[in-house]
Amino acid sequence: MSVKHSLLALLYENPGHGYELKTGFERLVQGMWPLNAGQVYSTLDRLERDKLVESPGYDEKDRKLYVITELGKRELWDWLKQPVARSLLKDEFYFKYLCADLVDYEEKQNMIQKQKETMIKDILALTQLKKQMNESQQYSMKMLIEGALLHLEADIKWLDMILQD
Amino acid sequence: MIETIGVKREFRTGKDTVSVLKGVNLFVNKGEFVAIIGPSGSGKSTLLQLLGGLDVPTEGSIILNGSTMEAKTEKQRTIFRRRNIGFVFQNYQLLPTLTVHENIVFPLHADGKKVSEYDVQKLLKAVDLKGRDKWYPHELSGGQQQRVAIARALINQPDILLADEPTGNLDRRRSSDILDLLSKFHSERKQTIIMVTHDMFAAGYADRVVLFKDGVIETEVRREEDDYAAFLSRFMA
Repeated sequence: MSVKHSLLALLYENPGHGYELKTGFERLVQGMWPLNAGQVYSTLDRLERDKLVESPGYDEKDRKLYVITELGKRELWDWLKQPVARSLLKDEFYFKYLCADLVDYEEKQNMIQKQKETMIKDILALTQLKKQMNESQQYSMKMLIEGALLHLEADIKWLDMILQD
Repeated sequence: MIETIGVKREFRTGKDTVSVLKGVNLFVNKGEFVAIIGPSGSGKSTLLQLLGGLDVPTEGSIILNGSTMEAKTEKQRTIFRRRNIGFVFQNYQLLPTLTVHENIVFPLHADGKKVSEYDVQKLLKAVDLKGRDKWYPHELSGGQQQRVAIARALINQPDILLADEPTGNLDRRRSSDILDLLSKFHSERKQTIIMVTHDMFAAGYADRVVLFKDGVIETEVRREEDDYAAFLSRFMA
């Protein structure tokens, strides 16, 4: 997750202060990833240092305002343009699966079954969240959840495959 | 409210009698969303047919909204079904020679009721088929056809919606659309939904999952129970 780029995106249209950016971020991700104020301010400090944002001054409540610079906009576009590499084999459960083999773990089947249960819990939770996103018409977040559900579907198919092994 | 008491259904094939339902006791509260799962041939669809008044039990009783189904004549059951129950099937079951609009209003015509164009257009919009009134089923994708079937099932504003594998013929994306739609109507209209499914993702929408095995309810679990996920993981692949 790139807090840096999310803040640049939030500042793209309008200037904002730290607290506004924190709440804006939480709205963007529908509260799924909490972000503490400290993270926001330290990221803003770094963005200012790197000249990706600048401060035009303070608002009437003496809160420091930030605006995105041309360099910041370029950074945001470059980031959006770059595809994201995924480390497909570096899942924690994959390592457990390998290590279970290594030590001849007797509970391996149970371990897989428990993993499947955990994923089904995720499916149930995401399905409920999707219902809420549908009701509040949060289309982008809904599509993110659809993506996560498709990943879970593939994961469960794989778990069923290794359960039968 | 739906209640089945000791429901049995036997079918005669030549000299043999096949017992498909062997005593089903099920109680579904008004507004509940129940998924019925279980192996093929376990009696899930037969129960749905009985609940929809398309068939009668060999033994036992079915009570829908206080009306005892087996006490009614076939004609009375048909009228009751038209007014209280919406059906959605796996293979959509649209009439191929009728347009989308004609398919949707078909239950109203069958019941001799006036068609409210406002209601039809509202439903078409809700199922995302606005402007497709004059299309024929063969001109639509599977997902679109199922959305027409859902609109048809809802045109009478039934209290009860029965869905038999509504996403069985659809890919994940279309399934997801259909389930979202059912779920939306469920929360907006507080309808009771009973859905037969093999799909864990579909079952994930329900308040309660009931497992059928060999013509009886083997077990069931509610969403709020801790072992809901463990239950689905054992019985659904």
